[in-house]
Amino acid sequence: MQASGMGSCDSSRLRVRPRLWASVAIVLLATSASAQTAGVPRDVDGRPDFTGIWQSLSGAEFGLEPHPGSTDAPASLGVIDGDSIPYQSWALEKRKQNLASRESSDPQTKCFTLGTPRGIYYPEPFQIFQRPRDLTLLFEFGHSVRTIHTNGSAHPEGPLDQWLGDSRAHWDGDTLVVDVTEFNDQTWLDRVGNFHSDALHVVERWRLLDANTIEYKAQLDDPKVFTQPWSITVLLYRRREPGVQLIENYCYTHEYDEFYPYPKEATR
Amino acid sequence: MRSLVIAMAVVLLPVAVAGQRQDDWREKTVSVVAAGSWTGPRTPDGQPDVSGHWSNTIGNHNTLEGRLSDPVGGVPYQPWAKARQEEFQAHLEDPTRPEYVEPLARCAPGGPTKSFLWHGYEIRQYPGYVLFLFDSGTRVIRLGDPVHLPAALKLWNGDSRGRWEGNALVVDVANNNSKSRFARTGEFVSDEAHVVERFTFDPGGRFTYQATYTDPVTLTRPFTITIPNRRVTPQTPQDGWNNITFPVVFDPKSGPHPPDIEAYERTCVENNTGHGEVAAPGG
Repeated sequence: MQASGMGSCDSSRLRVRPRLWASVAIVLLATSASAQTAGVPRDVDGRPDFTGIWQSLSGAEFGLEPHPGSTDAPASLGVIDGDSIPYQSWALEKRKQNLASRESSDPQTKCFTLGTPRGIYYPEPFQIFQRPRDLTLLFEFGHSVRTIHTNGSAHPEGPLDQWLGDSRAHWDGDTLVVDVTEFNDQTWLDRVGNFHSDALHVVERWRLLDANTIEYKAQLDDPKVFTQPWSITVLLYRRREPGVQLIENYCYTHEYDEFYPYPKEATR
Repeated sequence: MRSLVIAMAVVLLPVAVAGQRQDDWREKTVSVVAAGSWTGPRTPDGQPDVSGHWSNTIGNHNTLEGRLSDPVGGVPYQPWAKARQEEFQAHLEDPTRPEYVEPLARCAPGGPTKSFLWHGYEIRQYPGYVLFLFDSGTRVIRLGDPVHLPAALKLWNGDSRGRWEGNALVVDVANNNSKSRFARTGEFVSDEAHVVERFTFDPGGRFTYQATYTDPVTLTRPFTITIPNRRVTPQTPQDGWNNITFPVVFDPKSGPHPPDIEAYERTCVENNTGHGEVAAPGG
């Protein structure tokens, strides 16, 4: 877990009288919502500018919960708030089945669109293009595109079965708060079988800690699968190699690439 | 007053939509925008602002017929390449080999040119970039950096390097894997093909797409494809093909907004492991 750094304080150490506590809390809340982070890039409207190529080093893709190292995954403290994902009992069983069959059933192995939030912490870069009206996220994996709307629009009439969901956002000071709904039930959350249903509801909080680091928080709620909402926190780092750029990788075409060399003069 | 405005909008909107039928929006002739200076709005970084939803106005990917502007008669193939194109066309309905299945039917990107003969699409602009979001695949045009990727990288949509010349976006496309076809009739080029595209915009909501292909492997001379395009607006009739948008619903708390449109998530999965849909002859 990463310390959020924003609005976080240990109230037990504040030696203030109870009657003062409410007003202190109000001041702290107001400060956290309106404080501007110094030294971060800003767009034409003065909003934090997330433009750039980003990638997680969190290892979340190998398992969101704390886990030891294995032959195909590095050890990790996990990225969830708490020790385990609060699954309903049937869903815990389903996750075990997913893990056992993951070589064929993980949507990632079929190069399907990774979904939200998996696409964010999957260990390949993605690029953010930002305008005042929206953010466009282009993922190198599968070259898929997610739009986060920041123009005051609401979710379209649902239900919609979308791989990346429908993202509508507003600014809370320097934090971009994204409400994501309208999911399908086809994506997983990592490669060890953590999953969700089409009732998934994600609330993301994006914040630049400095010019080259994004703090990404996501709360996941799904009344069909979990007993209560739970959260993750990962950091995203700017890819800064000189000349770095995304390279088109339509992963799902690889299984039939071999059938499409351009026709050659040599005949069969 | 505010409720009156809303009431009027509710009354007027269906009339406006009903006043323009799809038959009127599609066209039978090719309108060509002349090259010149740009007189319309600009993006904050100074590009001609052409962002928004667009579609071709004539033709589709069933055939290249009518889209070849130089020469007009057909792709100037070397004889062996012509024979291979005809072989693909003959098997479109009878794909007895995997390579006869049209790649787009498997959700592969359409390649630099075919994407403009298919569904409507969206243009988004940023400092240093123009993005084309298609229903199957996305193109990133990099501005101000003319150096292409290493030649070993061959891509479905190629590597696109662009610059603005007045009202025209001029794009040089290399690194083509040339696995896509130009149409269901099977036209193709080799992975040595080089493409120069000119997107010539009229601020009134039109642009002409011209792509000139050079390929010493399959062609006897270069050829040019011309595709007319038109802006898709909230008044454009919705048909699920050229106009794939839906009206945006705004949060009332965010204040008044002019009518706006969006496209649903563009994720092609239905056909990505199977045969997919094939075209009827002449369809």
